[in-house]
Amino acid sequence: MPPPKEVAGFPSKENDEDQQYSFAVEYTGPPVTYDIPRAVPINVEKIPVAAVVSKVPLSNTELHIPVVPPILAPDRNKFSKELLLQPTVSPTSVIAFEERVSEDTNNCLLSGELSSYESGELAELIINNDSSSRGLAAVCSVSNEHSSKIDSCDSFDKSRGSSSRARISNDDDLNQADWGSNESVLSLDYPSSRVSSLKTGDCNNESNGDVRRPQVVTFRDIESEDGLDEDFSQDEVQAQVVRVKREPQTKGKKGSCYRCFKGNRFTEKEVCIVCDAKYCSNCVLRAMGSMPEGRKCVTCIGFPIDELKRGGLGKCSRMLKRLLNDLEVRQIMKAEKFCEANQLPPEYIFVNGQALSYEELAILQSCPNPPKKLKPGNYWYDKVSGLWGKEGQKPSKIISPHLNVGGSLRPDASNGNTQVFINGREITKVELRMLQLAGVQVAGNPHFWVNEDGSYQEEGQRNTKGYIWGKAGTKLVCAVLSLPVPSKSSNSCEEQLKSMTSRSVPDYLEQRTLQKILLVGSTGSGSSTIFKQAKILYKDVPFSEDERENIKLTIQTNVYGYLGILLEGRERFEEESLAEMRKRISSKETEPEGSSDGSDSKTIYSIGPRLKSFSDWLLKTMVSGNLEAIFPAATREYAPLVEELWKHAAIQETYNRRNELEMLPSVASYYLERVDEILKTDYEPSDLDILYAEGVTSSNGLACVDFSFPQSSPDENIDTAEQHDSLLRYQLIRVQARGFGENCKWLEMFEDVGMVIFCVSLSDYDQYSADGTNKMLLSKKFFETIVTHPTFEQMDFLLILNKFDIFEEKVERVPLTRCEWFDDFHPLISRHRTNTNSNSINNNPTLGQLGFHYVAVKFKRLYSSLTGRKLYVSHVKGLEPNSVDAALKFAREILKWDEERINFSLSEHSFYSTEASSFSH
Amino acid sequence: MSVAELKERHAAAIEAVNDLRERLKQRRQQLLDADGHKLHSFSLLYYLAGYARSLGRSQVTFGPTDLVCCRTLQGHTGKVYSLDWTPERDRIVSASQDGRLIVWNAQTSQKTHAIKLPCAWVMTCAFSPTGQSVACGGLDGMCSIFNLNSATDRDGNLPVSVTLNGHKGYVSCCQYVPDEDIHIITSSGDQTCVLWDITTGLRTTVFGGEFQSGHTADVLSVSINGTNSRVFVSGSCDGTARLWDTRVASRAMRTFQGHEGDVNTLKFFPDGNRFGTGSDDGTCRLFDIRNGHQLQVYYQQHGDKEVPLVTSIAFSISGRLLFAGYSNGDCYVWDTLLARVVLNLGSVKNSHENRISCLGLSADGSSLCTGSWDTNLKIWAFGGHRKVI
Repeated sequence: MPPPKEVAGFPSKENDEDQQYSFAVEYTGPPVTYDIPRAVPINVEKIPVAAVVSKVPLSNTELHIPVVPPILAPDRNKFSKELLLQPTVSPTSVIAFEERVSEDTNNCLLSGELSSYESGELAELIINNDSSSRGLAAVCSVSNEHSSKIDSCDSFDKSRGSSSRARISNDDDLNQADWGSNESVLSLDYPSSRVSSLKTGDCNNESNGDVRRPQVVTFRDIESEDGLDEDFSQDEVQAQVVRVKREPQTKGKKGSCYRCFKGNRFTEKEVCIVCDAKYCSNCVLRAMGSMPEGRKCVTCIGFPIDELKRGGLGKCSRMLKRLLNDLEVRQIMKAEKFCEANQLPPEYIFVNGQALSYEELAILQSCPNPPKKLKPGNYWYDKVSGLWGKEGQKPSKIISPHLNVGGSLRPDASNGNTQVFINGREITKVELRMLQLAGVQVAGNPHFWVNEDGSYQEEGQRNTKGYIWGKAGTKLVCAVLSLPVPSKSSNSCEEQLKSMTSRSVPDYLEQRTLQKILLVGSTGSGSSTIFKQAKILYKDVPFSEDERENIKLTIQTNVYGYLGILLEGRERFEEESLAEMRKRISSKETEPEGSSDGSDSKTIYSIGPRLKSFSDWLLKTMVSGNLEAIFPAATREYAPLVEELWKHAAIQETYNRRNELEMLPSVASYYLERVDEILKTDYEPSDLDILYAEGVTSSNGLACVDFSFPQSSPDENIDTAEQHDSLLRYQLIRVQARGFGENCKWLEMFEDVGMVIFCVSLSDYDQYSADGTNKMLLSKKFFETIVTHPTFEQMDFLLILNKFDIFEEKVERVPLTRCEWFDDFHPLISRHRTNTNSNSINNNPTLGQLGFHYVAVKFKRLYSSLTGRKLYVSHVKGLEPNSVDAALKFAREILKWDEERINFSLSEHSFYSTEASSFSH
Repeated sequence: MSVAELKERHAAAIEAVNDLRERLKQRRQQLLDADGHKLHSFSLLYYLAGYARSLGRSQVTFGPTDLVCCRTLQGHTGKVYSLDWTPERDRIVSASQDGRLIVWNAQTSQKTHAIKLPCAWVMTCAFSPTGQSVACGGLDGMCSIFNLNSATDRDGNLPVSVTLNGHKGYVSCCQYVPDEDIHIITSSGDQTCVLWDITTGLRTTVFGGEFQSGHTADVLSVSINGTNSRVFVSGSCDGTARLWDTRVASRAMRTFQGHEGDVNTLKFFPDGNRFGTGSDDGTCRLFDIRNGHQLQVYYQQHGDKEVPLVTSIAFSISGRLLFAGYSNGDCYVWDTLLARVVLNLGSVKNSHENRISCLGLSADGSSLCTGSWDTNLKIWAFGGHRKVI
């Protein structure tokens, strides 16, 4: 049933026109009788361009479908027929109209040609027509005016009858054919491939369904009294619906399909898991659409399922298998089982008198030994022993202990009356009996303390008195008394706890608990260092084997790069010193007794021919730009040579003048001083090496890491908030744009992030980019672009002023005013600086701190002038783990405040709902 | 020669090139004004329109119910960014910000595959010519290819069969070369387009780049000529479209100027001699690849409000209709000949509630699929009744 083929497509009407309208096809037809306008001598004024083109009518040409001629006669019967004719153009248009109508039920406004017929009657008519086609008896009552014509609409059978009667009465009518086709619409037996907007299932449809909800019937009396009730608002209906359980929209005759009203109770049908509507195989695909949440009517999407049907989730019927292919069925079943809307609503499950939260439910369901077939209800849970049962009943299962769910266990949880307590719960008679049979001394109403392994002790005593389930017979007794025994899988509690922390969070929860943080910064701002720090700080295995191998190659390649820069510098210095020497010699030569050792052109920067050739080759490779391609493989070969080179006096001499080589990054010395070690094949980069390394995080611009902040201290009392925190996971996304222009198109992909961390290198204030602009000003410009980007309109920003350590050192030497943005930096510096430097106890801030605060304020002012909001600023030393940790924790706090702010404003609204307007922003 | 020296010369050369480029632009403008090219092309179109009328044809007209939404594909939980049809069978692959690719059966509107991606920031997806595999690319700068027939792993995820790694920026668009399943062309934020050999996973040819006459900004879109698969066009943030021959990597065969904003999307005209573009400046344009001239501009006045960007375009099989999706949720159906809007799918019932980010026509031309930031895809088909004689 291929719909697109059956539905006449675009080409069908274009095929015949195709040739003529093609632009540059050579004309091969018969010679034309008229003059073809030549393009050569054009008189601009003579071309009536606009006039002619505008004459082409926009619509209503002869090509058009049977357009409804203007209706003159007010004859209602004819009117209705005409109108019904319109929808018969195609089944879809019927539905399209119907939806439009039902969107605002009585105030119908048809667009397009039909807008001239804007009237309530039309709406009713169409509803009438449509509802009879679907047997929507309830809505029919809205249009009471016409219920006399298309006889009563109280029951579907009648309306069907009426429609068929109408057809019979119109048999001799001219429009009989139209009615016939209309009937085909009514019975909905047009091929399933026909377009059907029922599948659309968007909000219109939903409201559509709401209107037809049986509750609407209650409006009937009012409406039949005073005709159309203009106040009949959807909101009212909707409000009703949310509270009540969803019920099927329509009810045909018993056992028939809810959509086509055919068949009986024995025909195979698929059931909606929300509203219990049943559809036959012809209708199920149209009624349920693309089933994004499993077998639900389109109108039921997003609603929680009928709990009675939970057991059937993910179990496919034969019918669906017949209708769809295997892959499709699998996807539907997967969606049905795992989509969020179909999950057990946690607020329906009470454990120890407390409704669960999403996270608690996730804990409960993902523990190694979960309660099976959890249904909504009240339960009690003994956290120490893992006993689990329904409120007021004996235990039904022993689940994993120590789960942090629900409230505290109450003594009367299982409604016992034996005066014997286990872990503070008064046990039932059956349990007492079991204890007696297990040989436990229960005389004197003892209070027992039972652990998950069955060991028990009396309250207030230290020694374990025995194991309840230790005896072989006990398990038999338990089976007889239908009491639970611990399952074999529950091993040591340590192991369970471990598996708990490493468990995977279900997909739908992941979305909810994952907080995304975007980390941006221009090149050289150290954002990659922060990213690497986060990885090292919060991941158990920060870098995998593969990654480490790649990092190793990157570092080694980098080292070759640094060497190349050194060699280049060496050449320069050699030339310089040679020139100087020659000058000196020539000046000497003017003196008569000048010694002629000028032949010796050796300087301190000269190297031997072997090293020279290597150096030339290395420089050539660098210039051609394929250093990366060559070096990983060549490492082994050249390592000894490089070592020799490095140890050579010329290179060392050059290295001593490294501050003259502006190409050489400051980190180079870190690696160069250990060059022999790094270039070994068995070199393993340490964490610090990785931190220092350039270009390690994917050069493609995007890297992300999922992490959760570790609990501050393990032996701390874990309260529920902390527990939830461990579920809260963060994703740090680092992006590096190559050229930041206005074209940050991909930024709109990050609109779901919780906050943006913008990274600026503090020490950039005296650095200049290749084209001579100050790097700090470049950062400022980029900052402006990002914060004003429409995607981040309401986003929180944390500015990280990185490389504070370098800044502190540099600002003493180079004045901050070097950057023109900071030209009004006039710090008040105490005269006795030497004193303040020597003892840090003195409260005078250092110049570095002053500078940092000054820059921070500069950025804050800029930010608030751009957005009117507050900027969070933190200074960071990228290479120090604690500093990065503090900054990221600060980011977490900001996210938390944000949530609290939302909650606060929400609660405010609910408390002061009357004054809400005064509070609104 | 030292590195610094080379750098200097490079910078000087770049400056010279930019200067020349500017002069070229001015000269082009002058020429256009001088020979009245615009008028010329206009008169040609005018003639065509007149000719069409003389034969009793007129502008295409659509009633509000002629093009109706007949399927809604729900299932994504994030913004839909890209979609593609299979060449033969009625299947669609769509990519969304929820980090999934979904393969749909357009007839039953059911999902056949839901592929969880290693990198959630996906920007593009494509169906292979045989329908056996799908490709996708995004901010991770890689093009990942999934074989739909491979077995799923333990968690029910489809494994990546090939990763094409080599771009230095995000992958913005990918399209299979029509004849076989082994070549794919990607465009990237690193200003290049790359032709890949999927079997080896290596780059066959790189178009553009630093030392070549390529795009000077991020490349956003590619389209391969349907009649001659050696030729493709690319659109870029530099406001130009360029025509490439896959055998000539060194330089673009032609550069098409005209747009005043990023060229977001382009598609070849069905006859392969023209192509259409959509841009941030709110216009769609039609260019001729043989003479390099602009044939038509499609622009709808929007008052003084912000001009919506064109996000995606597609041609009908005959080329008479141009479908263009806009950032404000509109989707215009243009009459390519007369540059008139025939229908706005954004204003009909059941239209999308957010930006239309991608659209595509099925291979037989019978239906149009639109994807939107409202997380849904919709399939539109001709729903009217027309007498076919």
